Amino acid sequence: MTRKYELVYVVSPEASDDQVTDLHHQVEAIVQRVGGSIEKTENWGRRRLAYEIGRHKEGTYVLEVLHGTGELMKEIDRRLKVTDLIIRHLVVRVDEAQAVIERTKARRSATSQRRRVARGLPADRQPGEGQRGDADDDRDDRFDMGNERGMDR
Amino acid sequence: MNGRKSFGAKKGGRAGAAGAQGKDGQRRPMFRRRKVCKFCSDKIDDINYKDTKLLLPFVPERAKILPRRISGTCALHQRKLRVALMRARQLALIPYTAE
Repeated sequence: MTRKYELVYVVSPEASDDQVTDLHHQVEAIVQRVGGSIEKTENWGRRRLAYEIGRHKEGTYVLEVLHGTGELMKEIDRRLKVTDLIIRHLVVRVDEAQAVIERTKARRSATSQRRRVARGLPADRQPGEGQRGDADDDRDDRFDMGNERGMDR
Repeated sequence: MNGRKSFGAKKGGRAGAAGAQGKDGQRRPMFRRRKVCKFCSDKIDDINYKDTKLLLPFVPERAKILPRRISGTCALHQRKLRVALMRARQLALIPYTAE
């Protein structure tokens, strides 16, 4: 049973670029050994941490999208836990959530097309359609969250 | 003397009540915009833990998750938002508490 997972790990800021790529190769090796594939790898670069982890204030974030079994992720999780250079990591299964998103998107476009046809319009949105000349107070309703709290007190 | 005192107090109380009513009368018609779920109205299906730009407005200075009663987020999206925020917190993308 192969599933899709997302793996994000935070590498200690002391690590050099070579060490970061080395970690990526380590992950790759595990994936190949256990059986799976890497869909993509993204290096977000060095970012400030929202809070201190240990004594680190920064970290290098790397995202990997993997296909594989639960066994593979267990092994990766275990390896990342014992790697000192990695200060934090997170494994998330994404295939089911993505399927749900696809479904809701498909359902929404289907209903909008059906209703547009019922109104005698072409099924798809025409370019430049539905754009108001001046957006009045229609859009600013989400900016007064703070105000309402003040009014309650 | 005692009676007078109580009379005075009563009067004061009444005046206070009237004042509050007047205030209330002013406050009621004041327009309070209906809160709408940001994710429903903007048709954001994917509440992702990696999207800090989307998540940050839901963590005010104390870094607590903004409750539904204030943000107006619908129950479904608040649940998804909560999961995303907790994941983002784990990766230190969003703080647990304010320093």
